[in-house]
Amino acid sequence: MIKIAGLTKRFGNLVVFENIHTHIKKGECIALIGPSGAGKSVFFRSLAMLEIPDSGSIFINGTDITKKEVNLNHVREKMGMVYQGFHLFSHLNILDNITLAPVLVKKQDKKAAEKKAMELLSLVGLTDKAGNFPHELSGGQQQRIAIARCLAMEPEIMLFDEPTSALDPTMTGEVLAIIRKLTKMGLTMVIITHEMKFARDVSDRVFYMDEGGIYEEGTPGEIFDHPKKEKTKTFIRKLKIFNYEIVSKGFDLVAMNARIETFCQKYNLDSKQVYYIQLFLEELIVEIFSHCYESSNPEIYITIEYSDESNGISICINYKAAEFNPFENSDDEIDHLGVTLINKMAKKIEYLYEPGLNSVNINL
Amino acid sequence: MINFFEGIFNSFYKNLIAGDAYLIVLKGLWVTILISFLGLLFGTILGAVLCFLRISKIKILKKTSQFIIAVLRGSPVLLLLMLLYYVAFANSRIDAVIIAVIAFSLNSGAHIAEVMRSAVEAVDHKQLEAARMLGFSKSKAFFAITLPQAAIIAKPVYQSAVVNLIQWTSVVGYVTITDLTRTVNNIGARTGDPFFALFFGILIYLGLSYLVYSLFSIGEKRSELK
Repeated sequence: MIKIAGLTKRFGNLVVFENIHTHIKKGECIALIGPSGAGKSVFFRSLAMLEIPDSGSIFINGTDITKKEVNLNHVREKMGMVYQGFHLFSHLNILDNITLAPVLVKKQDKKAAEKKAMELLSLVGLTDKAGNFPHELSGGQQQRIAIARCLAMEPEIMLFDEPTSALDPTMTGEVLAIIRKLTKMGLTMVIITHEMKFARDVSDRVFYMDEGGIYEEGTPGEIFDHPKKEKTKTFIRKLKIFNYEIVSKGFDLVAMNARIETFCQKYNLDSKQVYYIQLFLEELIVEIFSHCYESSNPEIYITIEYSDESNGISICINYKAAEFNPFENSDDEIDHLGVTLINKMAKKIEYLYEPGLNSVNINL
Repeated sequence: MINFFEGIFNSFYKNLIAGDAYLIVLKGLWVTILISFLGLLFGTILGAVLCFLRISKIKILKKTSQFIIAVLRGSPVLLLLMLLYYVAFANSRIDAVIIAVIAFSLNSGAHIAEVMRSAVEAVDHKQLEAARMLGFSKSKAFFAITLPQAAIIAKPVYQSAVVNLIQWTSVVGYVTITDLTRTVNNIGARTGDPFFALFFGILIYLGLSYLVYSLFSIGEKRSELK
């Protein structure tokens, strides 16, 4: 249905996306997710040639629509686009909004178009609004009309650009319900969305866009439950990440603590959690220093991950040294009071050794 | 009291009835209406063309029309009129009324171009894109979506441009045209009662303005019913 080969778009020197290859099958529903600024919108708009890609091809039903001789009006007739901001024709009433394109573009008989429009209105549950003007409707209702307006052209492909993000939460449900209905009608759909739960329910495949391309793709199960790549994980789990590296013995503990504090305040962690993070790190660093780096320069990498979703904090310390598990030789509790403390307070502690690299994972 | 009414009646008679003066007034009014109407008609056409060029993506067209609009809007219409009459068409036998129509078309065209441009730019351009996505060609989408909405936005400003144009036509007396203003002025001079004649002239201009307003509001009621 839609085949994309080597699609690239730049704005000046900025690469929006580069060399995208993918294939969307007929009847498939694709959820496009990713952080803002990852090029989702531009990629999505280029599917309808609303943004002209710099190179590469887009095949719709075998026709390369990036070619100059292609009549885009005909291509777009087969595509419906639903915008974040609805964009209904504000000078026309609801019925005319829906019948305008069938009558003027498809040259349908006005009566027949109106009959079809009423059917679509009943599909989206708004038959009593036929005579109203767009501004008299709520956002959710306007969006449902926008969907009906597209359907009137009997498209094969539906493109949804964040269809619910301009709506307040009480109205997203009604719009999502309609989109769910459409998936059962066998339309090919691409949806940009920030509603992860919805994306998971409705889509057959999920594209995670980042770093100038489709960074990871897979079934909703693969992407949402077992994301493989780093950035996907961060995005899916809504992780906030803090990084710090220690590469000299004279490192500034106070400065590190100050930075941890800033990081934690930014995400509203309470002061007790901040204190634990700082305490654990301090104890472990002392322990690691004394065992591993007596004669060499340290190489310690600290990562703190905070997940908005689960409110969990995990501290990860990687250090390049011979195998040393700080939690193993804590028989002598007095000497290693800090480690004992961590053992008692942490939810979960993991230790892993790969040749040359120790890693400790602590969940709070 | 009686004297007062008698005075008004006398003035009225002297200025407008005696010697079929009202016919002269009507003739002057006709010239004013003719210049205004034709000026508006060609001005609107010119305005549309200038506006089209002004919003075009081709730089040279855009800059040229921007320049033309700036010059025409920035210069007094009377000077433009005199320039055309005494310099550009000085040796031709073209009727002064036609020259006035040209001058007012140019001037109002520039104003109307800007009115149109701001209206077109005020229309939600995503609606145009939505129409394109439904398969409309560029021009079809413009006429079906942008134009009707721009017309509604432009209406109040356009209306005052029309009234403005009518009032500015009162300067055509400078180039020998006998319009409404010139007529009432002549009558006033002849009868020695300029106050009444000029005041009557103002009333007619006022009437014309109200006529314009009411013509526009008929359209408004219709679009409300729709």
